[in-house]
Amino acid sequence: MLYDLTLHMGYVYDVPASGARHLIRVLPLSLPDRQRLIAGAITVSPNADEKVSFIDFFGQQATSVFVKAPHERLDIRMQARVVVEAPTIKADLSPELAGLKAELAGLLSVDPASPHHLAGTSPRLPEEPLIAAWAREVVKPGQTAHEIARAICTRIHKDFKYDPEATTVDTTPREAFKLKRGVCQDFSHIMIVALRSLGIPAGYVSGFLRTIPPPGKERLEGADAMHAWVRVWCGDAMGHVELDPTNDIPAGTDHIVVAYGRDYSDIAPVVGVMKGYGNQKALQAVDVIPLKQ
Amino acid sequence: MSKKAPAGERVVKEEIENDPILGYAALPGIADEMMDANGQIRPVWRNLIAHLSRLSEAELQERFARADRYLRDAGVFYRTYQSQGSGGSGERAWPISHVPVLIDAREWETVSRGLMQRADLLEAMVADIYGDNRLVEEGILPPQLVAANPEFLRPLAGIKPVGGHYLHFCSFEIGRGPDGNWWVLSDRTQAPSGAGFALENRVATTRAFSDIYAESHVHRLASFFVAFRDALQAQKQSPDDRIAVLSPGPANETYFEHAYIARYLGFMLLEGEDLTVVNNRVMVRTVAGLKPIGVLWRRLDAAYADPLELDQNSRIGTPGMVQALRSGALTVVNALGSGILETRAFLAFAPTIARRLLGEDLMMPSIATWWCGQKEEREHVAKNIERMVIGPAYTGLPFFDDNGQSVLGSSLRETAKETIGEWLADEGAKLVGQEVVTLSTTPAWVDGKLVPRPMSLRVYAARTEKGWQIMPGGFARIGSGDDVSAIAMQTGGTAADVWIVSDKPVARPTLLTPEENFTRNMPGSLPSRAADNLYWLGRYIERAEGSLRILRAWHLRYAESADPNAPLLADMTRYLKTIDIDMAKAVPLTLLRNIDSAIYSASNIRDRFSPDGWLALNDLSKTARRFHDAVKAGDDAAHAMTVLLRKLAGFAGLVHENMYRFTGWRFLSIGRHLERSMHMTRLLGHMCGPDAPDGALDMMLEIGDSVMTHRRRYNVNTARLTVADLLALDHLNPRSILFQLNEIRAEVELLPNAFVNGQMSPFYREAMRLHSGLAVMTPDGMNEEVYARLESELEKLSDLLGQTYIG
Repeated sequence: MLYDLTLHMGYVYDVPASGARHLIRVLPLSLPDRQRLIAGAITVSPNADEKVSFIDFFGQQATSVFVKAPHERLDIRMQARVVVEAPTIKADLSPELAGLKAELAGLLSVDPASPHHLAGTSPRLPEEPLIAAWAREVVKPGQTAHEIARAICTRIHKDFKYDPEATTVDTTPREAFKLKRGVCQDFSHIMIVALRSLGIPAGYVSGFLRTIPPPGKERLEGADAMHAWVRVWCGDAMGHVELDPTNDIPAGTDHIVVAYGRDYSDIAPVVGVMKGYGNQKALQAVDVIPLKQ
Repeated sequence: MSKKAPAGERVVKEEIENDPILGYAALPGIADEMMDANGQIRPVWRNLIAHLSRLSEAELQERFARADRYLRDAGVFYRTYQSQGSGGSGERAWPISHVPVLIDAREWETVSRGLMQRADLLEAMVADIYGDNRLVEEGILPPQLVAANPEFLRPLAGIKPVGGHYLHFCSFEIGRGPDGNWWVLSDRTQAPSGAGFALENRVATTRAFSDIYAESHVHRLASFFVAFRDALQAQKQSPDDRIAVLSPGPANETYFEHAYIARYLGFMLLEGEDLTVVNNRVMVRTVAGLKPIGVLWRRLDAAYADPLELDQNSRIGTPGMVQALRSGALTVVNALGSGILETRAFLAFAPTIARRLLGEDLMMPSIATWWCGQKEEREHVAKNIERMVIGPAYTGLPFFDDNGQSVLGSSLRETAKETIGEWLADEGAKLVGQEVVTLSTTPAWVDGKLVPRPMSLRVYAARTEKGWQIMPGGFARIGSGDDVSAIAMQTGGTAADVWIVSDKPVARPTLLTPEENFTRNMPGSLPSRAADNLYWLGRYIERAEGSLRILRAWHLRYAESADPNAPLLADMTRYLKTIDIDMAKAVPLTLLRNIDSAIYSASNIRDRFSPDGWLALNDLSKTARRFHDAVKAGDDAAHAMTVLLRKLAGFAGLVHENMYRFTGWRFLSIGRHLERSMHMTRLLGHMCGPDAPDGALDMMLEIGDSVMTHRRRYNVNTARLTVADLLALDHLNPRSILFQLNEIRAEVELLPNAFVNGQMSPFYREAMRLHSGLAVMTPDGMNEEVYARLESELEKLSDLLGQTYIG
């Protein structure tokens, strides 16, 4: 599947901001056998005084831009063309929880792909007894790690209501869990906390969803902005599996990966620090247009 | 003990036994720093003890008081977080224990070698953790202790420090076990604090024992700091680079020390907002523009250093700092990420890692530690629970100082002990067990006699051009009770100086270079934030003085008439309202706030401020507060204002007499003169109008401290024109507006960037214009309208100063 992507993120300030430094992570990744970035570019307006790109710990290209002069709005635009391969269906080769734990303990690596990074707590995701207790109820004896992940994904989709008004980017998993409402970020965070509490390494994926559904199919939730889903480590043999709790599906050709991290804070699309006061308004528009099957 | 002990030795011992004040007995089975196992006083202590035994209790107390007075006068304090909410300043005096701990220089050699090896080990570990991760791959360090470690800062992985080293300054907490050998209790690598306190502790202790110190061969501390300062100088990439101490700010518990160290070593003291990153270089904002930073000695935890790539909630960081490190033009002491070495669970792996990375066994062992994420280790801890302290695996705090997060196995209830195995199996990865160690004791002066108290040492290591150097001394933490288990060191302890005593005379270095090659270093560029604080310190001080003078004049008149509605008093009350002063209280709240604001400004620039000035300012605040509660309108209040004015003049005098006339002084001075000119302009505009009440002009002269001059200079009664002449236009009267503008113009001319490309800067031009404009005025031209215009122009001048230098 070939896609043309455009992303526009705008920030409008009540009082002009100055000395603004932003770190941007929005370009799709190139992943062997999965997706390939054919071309991509980020532009910023007003023109950046400094622009530096580097590859971050988890392998994503990050772009740091600095706009010195006072400005009333900042616009970040990304355009990219990406090929996404149809995923191969993986057989469930994952062990049960005890087996998974042993496999993890035997994995002597902390390189960026190591599931050890996804096993502990992370800046936005402390342990959460409420969610841990809920997760234990979902699990049935004898289930494999992959079955457990699917079960939790399904339960979130079933029990939680998609509601962009209910939460913000700063909502904690605990708050969203109590509300039983939220968006892709909240659902992904809750699922990660639940899986980690059971000993299953899980991380956060940011990316895009195709905006126009294939003929005869419904539009997926979360397609009008950047999307998020969950990456689960299912043991040595099966490796990582990506599940989308917002839509209760495995990530497939409709999902375009931008970045992998432990939680939102590792790979937030834009982190900014500027001098200024007063309020700001943020807007975001996404188009993911399929060019051909 | 040989039978032929020297006569002197026996005498000393007898004196001690006979002296009720010095009746001292070591605790059974515990090593003591002063007494050896046979109850003999160790040789290095003999001189001190002999002296002490000759002093009366009164003499001794007098000596201790000298040390306390030194610390108080030097303003040595540390901040306590708890007391902040409960009012008060939250500053606590440094808790000195007056009797130093003496250690034989030969033994210190061994301690030093052990700690140098340990510093090398830590360097090799951190290089591996942020580099190749061989320790993990070879199964020496469990992967989760890195990957799940909150101090593993991923953005720093793979960034090699520009000078090749991660660690430059470390500290160690060490204790002596019952067998007499030293143990490492914890390593500090994040931002080790206390080296400055060690220096102050030394100075204070030598105040008490100057005679004894002079004749004992005690190793000096200065050479350690000289070597480290020189090493940091050598880290600079170019001669134009600055070296700075980066502090979290005055709210930090050891801010005093940050200011002290910066002043002692001659480095800038900066906070995150002083810094900005331009084209991958960290720069300091100064009044002379942006200047590059070559070395940052950080005193803030790494996570707060950069809100873009590290903790996004940090309000005290510098966005882009990690990017600057990636491009390699900055040395940070210690490298961001080094804090991971403090992880408590790492202690369990230190011996194996030492063998792997250094090919050596540890010379000084660390306290026995087991990470409960491993089966055998977990079982060992469960089986020996009575001898264990259980605590968090990932904390960087040592078990005796972690706010009660660690528990003593022996204190667990019996039922809890039975299930300990299950608890450890469930939560083991997050827990460590550590052997309960006992510490040695050292004499402390308690209730008029020497008693043994448990102690541990804080020792510092600095990387110098010749390798690691260990501070000969440091300070000893002294426990408050006689419980010698290390975990009891948590609260209420004191700190004693540590003397490393040689049997030969020692070198006496100072921070100064030899006389023949001295150069005169001009002060470096003034950071903009410091300039801002100095400017506002000047303004608030002068604002307080201006209000005090009006208030005194008001109360003197009220004392005579007792009628607050008399036309002049009522008029002044209205005027005071316009400057936020409410006459409901004789010593109004606004006045206290002005003084507090001055203190706040001063607190941000402690490194540029003499301790005398600081004490004077705090004394002023305390007195004003007392008056606020107690003083009544009239005579009482007038007197109070006079007292406060005198204290204020004392502060101003200290600053005026002692402050080096450079850029910082100019900002302080401009602040004072600008505020005074505004005060005079506003007041003259109000009181010299045609409908001013009777007596207004006389009162004006009194407020302007010019009654006598007026009488001498003009052979007429007080009149609108003579008052304007004297208080607005007389360039010789230090209270006149023209005098202020004259001073401002002169100071501004000497500021950086007064001229840009040979042309006056807008700020200088405006200062010049205001000055000339007023200089050509005549008294009859000074009317309310002119005053009002001048007042608003002065406000604009202040804004212009902000735009030009503060940003």
